[in-house]
Amino acid sequence: MTRVAVGLVDYGVGNHSSVHQSLQKIGVRCRVSDDPAVLSPCDLLLLPGVGAFRPAMEALKRKGLDRYLVERASKKRPIVGICLGMQLLTEGSYEGGFTPGLGLIPGEIVPLGPLLWHIGWNTVTRVTDDPLFEGISGQTFYFNHAYKYHGPQQFKVCTTRVEYSFASVVRRNKIIGLQFHPEKSQDVGNALLRRVIEELCRA
Amino acid sequence: MLRKRLIGVITVKDGWAVQSFSYQRYLPLGRPERLAENLDRWGTDEILVLSIDRTAKGLGPDLSLLRKLAALGLSTPLTYGGGIRTAEDAGNVIQSGAERLCVDASLHGNQGAVREMAALVGAQAMIASLPLSTGDGQIRWHDYRTRDSSALAEADLAVLGEGVISEALVIDCIHEGRRASFDPRLVELMPFAQLRLIAFGGISEPSQVSSLLASPRVAAVAVGNFLNYSEHAVQTLKRSPSDSSLRPPAYAVDPER
Repeated sequence: MTRVAVGLVDYGVGNHSSVHQSLQKIGVRCRVSDDPAVLSPCDLLLLPGVGAFRPAMEALKRKGLDRYLVERASKKRPIVGICLGMQLLTEGSYEGGFTPGLGLIPGEIVPLGPLLWHIGWNTVTRVTDDPLFEGISGQTFYFNHAYKYHGPQQFKVCTTRVEYSFASVVRRNKIIGLQFHPEKSQDVGNALLRRVIEELCRA
Repeated sequence: MLRKRLIGVITVKDGWAVQSFSYQRYLPLGRPERLAENLDRWGTDEILVLSIDRTAKGLGPDLSLLRKLAALGLSTPLTYGGGIRTAEDAGNVIQSGAERLCVDASLHGNQGAVREMAALVGAQAMIASLPLSTGDGQIRWHDYRTRDSSALAEADLAVLGEGVISEALVIDCIHEGRRASFDPRLVELMPFAQLRLIAFGGISEPSQVSSLLASPRVAAVAVGNFLNYSEHAVQTLKRSPSDSSLRPPAYAVDPER
């Protein structure tokens, strides 16, 4: 595990320090940067995020990281998005009017609906046979979001239920999005983060 | 099932964690980092740090404290309140390690700033901190800067009904720091029906936690220094609701073992 290096994409929006600390806790080497030259040698990129979609996407563009992430994904190199980072992986979001996203996973981000916000700890259910997420069903993670993924069923790996079900994990090959915060989900979250990083880098 | 939350509160004054009594008398407890480490290990669902002197002293948010807390690698969600005046402050708070933030003073005279904060960090990250009391069958809203209070009118807090605030921290500012004394009428009389509430101030007993969480409006209860008074306090309080609305209690696993 110590040989794996994760690049934490620092685009000036969101909370990368928590993710950084979490990665250190699980024994992963980590580089935090907005510079593609620094991020490129890393085995996997992690896109964190807390905040609103539009300013986050604007920040990625300002730093030229949108093009870099798309190019990196085209080379089949793994990227994991967390919360807002997951939403940025999609084709766009209707938060504050439509804003195009990175387009790495088909689908869009839409309001949660009558619930307005989904804040707190909730359970996750695996809805495919993706072995990476075997055993995740019934585990509880921390969520904090107002928008959800809306897209083709084939990209939904796990769902979470409130008054209805929504996708809490999405995946397209080596691009994975986690709607919850594994870095803030205590031991269960750290274990998942470790497994996702290990398996994606091994594959 | 979305669980309700037990939040551990750390009140900070002059950089030190303090035990507060009705926000008028304070006893020093120690470094906030040590308390945060304990709450993280004990399995609270969220940690709320309230730096209560930042606004009154004209200081911004305590980013230095937030960075110290972030360096601990806490794996429990962190909310911060104190000195947040602008969208830039809000962004800095999130960037420094908090998932959510609490606003108080801006609600009194600068609700435009609150809207700008929400546009930057998202409404899901926004909590309104409301020091309240009851009297004559109505809720009174306290301004801790002027020490005045006035009847809580929906018109005065229009921003709470606009979807830019996701939860309200209902603080019983009279009974805060006193055991088993939270006034449940604060929840019953609270306007803004769509707003989920966090009850705080004078909550120490399992029966209080159970009773408050039975209300569909209450998303969380927040407990301050009472969590430090007895062993396994978090575990005891988490076992109290009969309907298992809280996440089961669990201590963190020590990765060194």
